Amino acid sequence: MNRREFLQCAAILISGVSASQLGFTLSDEQQIYLANAPDYNTTAVNYFTPEQRKIVAAMAEVIIPRTETPGAIDARVPAFIELMAANWLNDEERTIFIAGLQDIETRIPVEFGKTFNQLSAQQQLHIMEALEDAASDSPWYEFGNVQREYISDAPFICQVKELTIWGFFTSEEGASQVLRYDPMPMYFDGNLPLAPEDSSWSSPL
Amino acid sequence: MIEHTQYDFDAIVVGSGISGSWAAKELTEKGLKVLVLERGKSLAAGTGYLGEHAPNWKLPYQGKRPRKLYEEEYPVQSKVWHSFNESSRQFWNNDKQNPYAMDEGKPFLWARADVVGGRSLIWGRQTYRWSEQDFKANETDGHGIPWPVGYKDIEPWYSYVEKFVGINGKREGLPQLPDSEFQKPMPWFELEKTIHARLKKKAPDVTLTNGRVAILTEDLPGRSACHYCGPCYRGCSTGSYFSSQSSTLPAAEATGNLTLKANAVVERLEYDSESGKISRVHVIDAITKERQFYSARLFFLCASTVGSTQILMNSASESFPNGLANSSGVLGRYMMDHTLGVSGIGLFLDNMDSYYHGNRPTGLYIPRFRNLNGQDKDADFVRGYGYQTATLRMDWQTGINAKGFGATLKDSLRKPGPWIFALAGFTECLPRESNRMYLSKDKVDRYGIPQVVFDFEWSENEINLRRDARIQADRLLKAAGAVITLAGDDAMSLPGEGIHEMGTARMGNDPKESVLNAHNQTHDVPNLFITDGSFMTSASCVNPSLTYMAFTARACDYAVKQLAQAAL
Repeated sequence: MNRREFLQCAAILISGVSASQLGFTLSDEQQIYLANAPDYNTTAVNYFTPEQRKIVAAMAEVIIPRTETPGAIDARVPAFIELMAANWLNDEERTIFIAGLQDIETRIPVEFGKTFNQLSAQQQLHIMEALEDAASDSPWYEFGNVQREYISDAPFICQVKELTIWGFFTSEEGASQVLRYDPMPMYFDGNLPLAPEDSSWSSPL
Repeated sequence: MIEHTQYDFDAIVVGSGISGSWAAKELTEKGLKVLVLERGKSLAAGTGYLGEHAPNWKLPYQGKRPRKLYEEEYPVQSKVWHSFNESSRQFWNNDKQNPYAMDEGKPFLWARADVVGGRSLIWGRQTYRWSEQDFKANETDGHGIPWPVGYKDIEPWYSYVEKFVGINGKREGLPQLPDSEFQKPMPWFELEKTIHARLKKKAPDVTLTNGRVAILTEDLPGRSACHYCGPCYRGCSTGSYFSSQSSTLPAAEATGNLTLKANAVVERLEYDSESGKISRVHVIDAITKERQFYSARLFFLCASTVGSTQILMNSASESFPNGLANSSGVLGRYMMDHTLGVSGIGLFLDNMDSYYHGNRPTGLYIPRFRNLNGQDKDADFVRGYGYQTATLRMDWQTGINAKGFGATLKDSLRKPGPWIFALAGFTECLPRESNRMYLSKDKVDRYGIPQVVFDFEWSENEINLRRDARIQADRLLKAAGAVITLAGDDAMSLPGEGIHEMGTARMGNDPKESVLNAHNQTHDVPNLFITDGSFMTSASCVNPSLTYMAFTARACDYAVKQLAQAAL
C-alpha cells in the first residue's frame, strides 16, 4: 500500500462505511472521529471581557510573534488560552490567572496612560520581561521541569507562556508552518540530513 | 464422554484479548463452534479507532490531559502515561464504574481494557521468546516450583504464532534471547549506530539490538506494513500491529464458526460434580444486567490473569469450596509483575546534523546480560533484567519553560535540540506465596460480583535488581559517549504498573502445588483450560504476551486432540 492508497483508504474508513454494514453497533459517543472534529481552538468561548481578550492576544504575540511564519494570533492562541482558562485550569490556577490579568488591566493604564495592547511592541516586551524577572525564582523555570501536567502555583507570566507555547506548537499553523508536519510518513529513515535552519517535526502527542 | 447431551457450543472462550482471540482462532480453525465472551464494549476494527491519525490541534485541549475527568473517573488507568489519553480513552476501563480493593498500604495498579480485543489494542507490542534459562530458573535457584515445560516443547509453537503475528527484529543468535521468525528489522537512528559501535568496544558484555515488536515491516494478508504515524495505542486501521481486531478475530470470523458476544460479563463457571466437568458459564449483560447461561464441551479462560482468577474464585461450589480448580490452594497466589522504569538517561551531542523521517514505534533493546553463566560475583540478586531503550531529539516540549520572548524564543523552540538516549530496565519478579489477590468479603461491583483485592509487595530481589539496573545503565551510557548522564532513581514502579500480571493459576507437575498441568489444563477439571498470564510459573524479564500466544495455540491443539479421543 503506498501513501496515496493509504490516505484514500483512511478517508473511506472514516467517512464511507456505516457501522451497521460491518455488523457492529457504535454508540453516539463512539461515533465522533477526532480527526474529523473541529479544531479545538475554534470551540466557542466567552470567558474574558473584550478588554481582557485584547490584552491576552497582545501578550501571546509578544511571546510568539509573527515573523516570516505565522505567530500566536495567526494560530488562534488567544482563543486557546481563553478556552483553557475557562475549562481546563483548576480553581487555584484560575484565581492566579485572573488576578494576573486584572493586574495588567488596571496597573498598566495608570503607569503608561494606555492599555497593554495599545503600547508599542518594545513597551509590551519590557513589561513582560519585568514580570519574568519577578517570577524568575519560581520552580516553573527549573531545568528539566517540563515532563509534568502543570504547576498549579506557577505565576501568571509562566501560565501565559506555557499556554502560549503549547497552544502555538500544537496548532495547525504552528505544527505545519513553523514545525514540520507529516501525518503519514510511510517509512522510517534514521539519517535524514539536518541543516542549521531546519525545524523539528511536529510529533503526535 | 456424555452422550445425547445438547451443547450450545463446542467451546466457550472467556476474553477476546491476546490469549482469548488466539484460542478463538485456533479452535474455530479446527472446526469447533466457538462462543467468545467479552465483558467490554463492541469495537470494530478500523472504524472503531476514533483517535487514530487525529492531529494535535483536533485533540481536546490540544493534547493537555483533562485532569478533573481523569481524577474522578480514571484515577487508575490514567496512570498508564504511555498509552492513556483522549485519543485512546475509549479502549480503557472506567475506574469509577469498576472499582477494586487493595490491602492497607499496598497499592496495585490494575490496568484494564473495556472493549472487544482487550489489551491487545493498547499493549506495548514488544515480543520476546523465553530461553531455556528462563524455563529452568525456578529449578536452578529454588524460587517457585519447576516448570513442567521446557524451551524445546514451546519452540515450534513460538514459530507457529510468530509467522502469523508478524514480528520484526534482528537475528542475534543469543542463548538468553532466542531469535524469532523475523520480518526485516526497522532501521536505526544514526546516533544508535554510533552508540552501538562504542558499546561493542567499551561494553562488549551487552548486545544492543532492535526492539522486537509485533509490527509489520512487510505486508501480510489483509494487513499492511507500518506507515510510521507513531501512536500505535490509538488503534491501527491498516492492521500493521498485532491486535485481536487486526489479526486473530478476523481469522476466527472467516471460519464461520465464531460467535462473539460483547458486554458479556462472566459471573461464574458451573461445575457438574456428576461428570466432573464444567457444564455452563453464567453471564450478566453489562448493559441490561440480564442473566444468561451457555453450555459447551470445552472451556478456555483467557480473561487476563486477574479476571480469570476472579472468575475461578467466584465459582466456588461444594466440590471446590476454595475456588474452582483450586484443590491445591495456590489459586490467586504467586502473583508476579515486572518492575519497570527509567534506569538512566544520557544526553548526546553526536550526529547533530542527522535527523529522521517517520515515527518509529519502538526503541532498541539490550537483552539480559547479568547472571548468564551462573551467578555473577558482584550480584546481590538472582536472575536479571533487560533494557528497553528510547532515542529522541529534544524539541519545543522540552524547552517549554525557557526564559525569553519573541522571535528568538520562537526560533530556538522550533529547532531540534540535543539527542537523548534512555535505558528503561524491565526486571524479573520472583514468585512468592504472599503476593496474591483474593475476593472481598463485603465489597461487590455493579453486577454483584465480589471485588478483587490485591495484596502485593516487591521483595528484596526485585529492589536489588532495580538498583543494579540503574548502576549498570550509568556505566553503559558513559561507554556509549553520553556527555551528561542522569541516573534514574531507585523508586520501584507500582505493582501492576508493568501490566504484566502473572502466575495466579500456575503450571506444575504436582497437582498439590499447581492449578494447571503442562498443557494449560486444570488438574482438577479436564475440560477447563487457562491460557492467559495466570499460568506463568515464573516471570522471566521479557515481555510475556508472545509466550501467552504460543502456549494458547499449543493448549488448543492438545484440547482438540483430547476431544477427538473422547478424553474430555
